[in-house]
Amino acid sequence: MSTIALTAPAAMPGAPARSSGYLVLAPSCLVLTIFFALPMGTMIGMSFMDAQTLSPTLLNYQRFFSDGLSLAGLYRTAVMSILVAVCVTVLGYPVAYYLARSRSRWRALVFALALAPELAGVVLRTYGWLIILEDRGFINDMLINLGLIASPLPLSKNLFAVVVGLTHVVLPFGILSLTTSIQGIDPNLERAAQMLGASRLSVIRHIILPLSVPGIVSSLLISFTMAASAYATPALLGGARFKVLATMIYEQVLFYIDWGFAAVMAIALLIMMLAISFLGIRYETRRGNRRSNREGEAS
Amino acid sequence: MNVNRYLPLCLTLMLSGAPGLAFAETLVVNSYGGPYEAIIEERIIKPFEEKSGIDVVYDAVGSASQDYAKIKATRGQPGFDVVVMTASQSLQGCKDGLLEKLDVTAVPNLGKLVPSLAAVAGPCGAVHEVQYMSLLYRTDKLASPPTSWSSLLDPELKGRIILPTFQNIMAVFLMEIMSVTRGGDMIDNVDPGFSAMAELARQSIGFEQSSAILESYIKDGTVWAMPFWNGRAQLLVDQGVPVDYVRPKEGTVPLIATLNVPVGATNKQAATAFIDFFLEKSSQEAWVTGYKVGSARTDIDIPDDIRKRQITTQADLESLKLPDLSRIADKLGEWGERWERDVVSQAN
Repeated sequence: MSTIALTAPAAMPGAPARSSGYLVLAPSCLVLTIFFALPMGTMIGMSFMDAQTLSPTLLNYQRFFSDGLSLAGLYRTAVMSILVAVCVTVLGYPVAYYLARSRSRWRALVFALALAPELAGVVLRTYGWLIILEDRGFINDMLINLGLIASPLPLSKNLFAVVVGLTHVVLPFGILSLTTSIQGIDPNLERAAQMLGASRLSVIRHIILPLSVPGIVSSLLISFTMAASAYATPALLGGARFKVLATMIYEQVLFYIDWGFAAVMAIALLIMMLAISFLGIRYETRRGNRRSNREGEAS
Repeated sequence: MNVNRYLPLCLTLMLSGAPGLAFAETLVVNSYGGPYEAIIEERIIKPFEEKSGIDVVYDAVGSASQDYAKIKATRGQPGFDVVVMTASQSLQGCKDGLLEKLDVTAVPNLGKLVPSLAAVAGPCGAVHEVQYMSLLYRTDKLASPPTSWSSLLDPELKGRIILPTFQNIMAVFLMEIMSVTRGGDMIDNVDPGFSAMAELARQSIGFEQSSAILESYIKDGTVWAMPFWNGRAQLLVDQGVPVDYVRPKEGTVPLIATLNVPVGATNKQAATAFIDFFLEKSSQEAWVTGYKVGSARTDIDIPDDIRKRQITTQADLESLKLPDLSRIADKLGEWGERWERDVVSQAN
């Protein structure tokens, strides 16, 4: 296997000195410091503060781990986000494959349809699901009128409703990241496999799926983080009986006016999302390393 | 350094401050949207503008708790001069040093309010409206009007009631009144209240937070009875929905609405003038007849049919169970957790 050595271009006359490279980064660093690091620091500070006396305390953290309700909220958030991530990736994959490979004239239409949900606001779409799923909603009304059920099925105010609503909200993002990844796979590999006698199914299983793992991982990551931080959909479709961290934080800020405890919950949410992203990135890096090692051995 | 280079910048900065000087008589009032906005514009804001020559900008964004969060986040400079909240936020804001203290020198009409009600809101809130938690019911579904809060537990209402979520202060008040009904009290011994709420949860179809969603259930007949603020209950009656509301025999708890001034408000003088105007006898009469609520002034002249249903007399006021909102605020965290454990878990 031939390799192309890339060498750094020789310094051009009049090119800025190396240190000025950092100058280019300055605006974005400044923006990040003001709008990300400072608020984040304030929030972390707040989590160690007593809401009444403003004195330093660990009570907020102690309460988070001992009241039972907060950890249950964290657990619900995690379960909900994992389910959404899996649903989005499983449902989005066939669409993404079609979008990446099809040359049909319907492709543009499917692409538009896949992204169409983004045109309507999250709240609007969630209300749509509420009308369909609630006790007096479309599905229950229809089933009752057809005589199939006597009392409404529990389709709203629970995990099911939130996962359905969030999958709809997040799906376009999953489809986009999967499409980009599948488009990056050389179509000649599929043709080669088929010429060598592989069935369509084994091409997908042995060629497409393994090569699109980076896309699958990024779709899972995007969906997980978007679901874990979503507020409107869990608030409307989950209600009082299915509370996740995002809705619990909102309550602490607005109703209980306990910003210290809200900050602890926000930090827990942040740590969970960082941990998942870290795992995903580490998996990707390891895979990348293994591949380049194999390629190194082969060449 | 060339000073002239900075001249345009300085001029821009100076000029950008100028509108504040030129339109010093502009007052930003933050309150609610919907029917509230239309009625307050017609009955209070327009007459105030005509009388004082001050321009009022109406900001309908946010509920009382969202407004308070904004005041807290901006350390008392939320961008509005007067805000409509409730006695709970008035007390909290006074304690946090985020709301101005109001007194009779700046707001003479404060002296005309019933002291016991004014006291509930503390020194930072001017009580401009009093509602109470009523028992709203469907006249076409119930054989006879309910008379007691315990009627919510009647077998005929199984699966026919809905409850507010704990984040709607009505839930706290209902728990307290059930506690009193069953031999407890409103703060220290609320065990009977929580066990009654657990029974109510088993009887209910669930919980909803917003008044708009709560009322949709009784409008379409899914729910036959529920606790509801009487001002909105009256609006439903006026719309011709087959509902009516009662003040049950055990008494009830008032929802005390207040006008407040954030400490960093830019137009404090105009703000206190607006508050004083809202508390005038004529304005209170206009507000009580327009928005169908009660008043903390007992000297207002209003038609008998409205007086009968609202809190307007000394006798009405004495029938109210006044909540100790600052002690409730201290208990909220604990009660909230207990509500999740003992009440929400019991719902069907």
